[in-house]
Amino acid sequence: MTAGPPLLLAALGLVGATVLGRSQPKTWLALTLLGTTSALTAALLVFADGSGATPWDWRSAFLVGGEALHLRLDGLSALFLALLCVIGGTGAVYAREYWADKQFPGSAPRGRMWWSALVLSMGFVLLSSNGLHFLIGWELFTLSAYFLVTLDRQRHPVRAAGWLYLTASHVGTMCLFAFFALLAARTGSWELGPLREQADLAPLFWLALLGFGVKGGVFPLHVWLPSAHANAPSHVSALMSGVAIKMGIYGLVRFSGWLPVPAAAGWVVIGLGAVGAVLGIAFAFAQNDLKRLLAYCSVENIGVILIGLGGALLGVRYGDAPWGRLALAGALLHVWNHGLFKALLFLGAGSVLHATGTREMSRLGGLWRTMPWTAGLFALGAAAISGLPPLNGFVSEWLVYLGLFDAVTHRGPAAAAALLAAIMLGVTGALALATFVKAGAVVFLGAARTKAAAHAHECGPLMRAPMIALAVICVTLGLAPVLFWPAIARAVGVWHPTWSAADTTAPLATLGPVQLALALVFILGAVFLWRRSHANGLRRALTWDCGYAAPTAHMQYTGGSFAEVGAGWFSWILRPERILRRVRGPFPTGAGRFERVPETVLERVFTPVGVAVMRLSTATRRLQHGRLQFYIAYVVAGVATLGLIVYLGETP
Amino acid sequence: MIAVLEILVRLAVWLLLAPLLPGLINRVKAWVAGRRGPPVLQLYYDLARLWQKSVVLSTLASPAFIAGPAVAWVAVLGAALLLPLGPAGVALSFRGDVILLVYLLAVARFCTAWAAMETGSAFEGMGSVREVSYAVLAEAALITAVLALSVHTGSITLATMLAPAAGAGAVLLGAGLFLVLLAENCRVPFDDPNTHLELTMIHEAMILDHSGPPLAALLHGAAMKLLFFAALLTQAVLPLGNLAPLPAAAALAAGILAVTVGIGLVESLLARLAFRRVPLLLTTAFLLCLFALLMAWKGSAP
Repeated sequence: MTAGPPLLLAALGLVGATVLGRSQPKTWLALTLLGTTSALTAALLVFADGSGATPWDWRSAFLVGGEALHLRLDGLSALFLALLCVIGGTGAVYAREYWADKQFPGSAPRGRMWWSALVLSMGFVLLSSNGLHFLIGWELFTLSAYFLVTLDRQRHPVRAAGWLYLTASHVGTMCLFAFFALLAARTGSWELGPLREQADLAPLFWLALLGFGVKGGVFPLHVWLPSAHANAPSHVSALMSGVAIKMGIYGLVRFSGWLPVPAAAGWVVIGLGAVGAVLGIAFAFAQNDLKRLLAYCSVENIGVILIGLGGALLGVRYGDAPWGRLALAGALLHVWNHGLFKALLFLGAGSVLHATGTREMSRLGGLWRTMPWTAGLFALGAAAISGLPPLNGFVSEWLVYLGLFDAVTHRGPAAAAALLAAIMLGVTGALALATFVKAGAVVFLGAARTKAAAHAHECGPLMRAPMIALAVICVTLGLAPVLFWPAIARAVGVWHPTWSAADTTAPLATLGPVQLALALVFILGAVFLWRRSHANGLRRALTWDCGYAAPTAHMQYTGGSFAEVGAGWFSWILRPERILRRVRGPFPTGAGRFERVPETVLERVFTPVGVAVMRLSTATRRLQHGRLQFYIAYVVAGVATLGLIVYLGETP
Repeated sequence: MIAVLEILVRLAVWLLLAPLLPGLINRVKAWVAGRRGPPVLQLYYDLARLWQKSVVLSTLASPAFIAGPAVAWVAVLGAALLLPLGPAGVALSFRGDVILLVYLLAVARFCTAWAAMETGSAFEGMGSVREVSYAVLAEAALITAVLALSVHTGSITLATMLAPAAGAGAVLLGAGLFLVLLAENCRVPFDDPNTHLELTMIHEAMILDHSGPPLAALLHGAAMKLLFFAALLTQAVLPLGNLAPLPAAAALAAGILAVTVGIGLVESLLARLAFRRVPLLLTTAFLLCLFALLMAWKGSAP
């Protein structure tokens, strides 16, 4: 069976869900799940297709905007489509309880409609093989995501975040307009496909990097990401962080595979990746808002994916080296892994927000007792995102490391870049571990810092089931990565056909059983120690507090204190704002310390540029004063200048 | 059958020999101070005693407080089993196992830091913060050291990476790895295992609330980590691959003994650094490993 019928079913299901979403929640959920499952089946069919010679291809008879619809599903788009379906489906189930009609009578119907529209438009972008329709799909996807981010638009921070997202997305879309238009002009048609022979297409890569980089959250174009992902409803943040930013990565991967790239492309991409990874996680470490922390962590992981992609580009440039293949495989697997565990973490954060009403980590604490499932699943996600064996995060980072290490030992021109990238990847991993110990510990462990945290409740089954499903996939990917290798190898082969000879499952073939053995021994060890402790006798007592008579929950380590050492090393870019109200006088009334880490690139780079542009515009507007005499003078001056130009240019 | 026996012998070596090292270090410190010091086998007696004791669990702690030390111990043991033991080689070796090894140590760090934060106490918080923060720099140094070995030997499998000599950069690599050893095992000048003043501790602060079998697991895990780093350092510096099996084993043992005595001397003769200086020393370790990498790069250019 080809991928055609499931895709048609998926399209019908999602269109139906978009239309019916406002009025009928249950039908919406059924249709969305039907749509996502069918599309997932289509993707699996593509993976299972052993020959892989020709991808599924369909052209329509009718024209849309002057061009026939041309849809194509090959190994690379199937990879991203599978991720979209999983996150789209689980998020829809989550939304039924998290953003239900009872609490949000106004925005819940809209949310359902836009959710299906977003999933549909992202699927369309992945499938379209025509530049014009790619842009149409891209714009629809941007707008659907905007309406989802601003679901709770009564609140000012949400509106501001939505506005910033929209502006940044459209800057990116402008670059993409230029990219596709120039591509169409140079190749003579809007059709997209492998065009590696045309060398004059190479400089277009920079436009693509800008355009897709804004959407993908590449540092320093990531400025919209923290506020948008923090202020959006949690299931929307999960879809955006898990899949929407991967659309940017999809664009970069797709067009660096189909089109020729400039010589410096690999160096720039790996450099952006390494810098983005380290700075992204440094920003994340300093945040005190749980969802903002997770958003910055997405910037870091996009950096890791770009390190892999940059390695692949360098490998292609320097003789089709096999280490480039490993790096790309690691990057593509990290696309999946990050989508899965970031969605899991955002859904967990949503559960916390739903139960306590706050995202501020300094107001939470001790939630493990009242929310054991959320705490356990968040801890699993935290271990996965820190790249710890035996979970899936480790597998993709391991593949990227293998690629980089091979590049170093092969001593090519790319070895220096690979060396630096490997060291920065190591630093990133250690910082990510620190960040997620902070996030998990300050939110879930210890004692509750406020009443809201003390009165939390566990989330219901419709919110727990998606998290459990995502966690199960994460664990499966970690313990049996060989199962997913054919899909990754096929996608790598699509990107660079010379690499399609799938020779090495060998690296993963040993890692999988080792991780499985590790997982079993971890569980056995924990159970054994638990039983031994109980057999010896176990009693509960207050935490040792050095004899202090009245310990309070506020004596625990806060998130800010946790990050102080590490964030201090990065204060040159974090530039935290501190407001200190000191204790004054013999009978002090109050004191406080308020610290905020702003989005530095936005506030120090983009905002001043924007302010300068506005000042220039205001100055220029002084020409528009309404006095007729001056307007006649402008016309005379303009005509005179034109006459001068014609006069001077007349002689050949 | 032979394979099972081999695994058991390896386990025995790691599990039984590890607690000897802290005892030796304490003996060296006592000798320098003119004292007689505790018995060399003291940690064995402590572990046996702790294993029989009951556990006091904080009212704030979840089951992860007991699971954490268990997972950390298994992770350190897993890393230890991946490390070649001189002529005896390694039980399991595959391409890229060195990265699994580094990340297993990260698992142990994650679990001890998580278990420490379970208590909701500022003391454990302090210890966790310092541990995970300084680990960032120590990890940079460790990855650079691994890269140096990798560049020198052209492989990323631990069995082949450690076998040949480390060349002219061996001294630099040894110095860098020694500093990483001191940092990761919480020895002077990064941390003082003797003081039980929470304001001045890293590792000791994290284990304040543990008792009974979990504490035994943590102490034994720390001893195994020390033996692991000592063995890694010895094999990275000495050309054990060029010797016959018996002299190689003797050289490995002598190297580990030398490292232990060295730690004891450093602990006796140096004071713990102020915490604001610890990043400087760790950066020095990173630079030493980086110079070793550059020397390996130059040394084995094709």
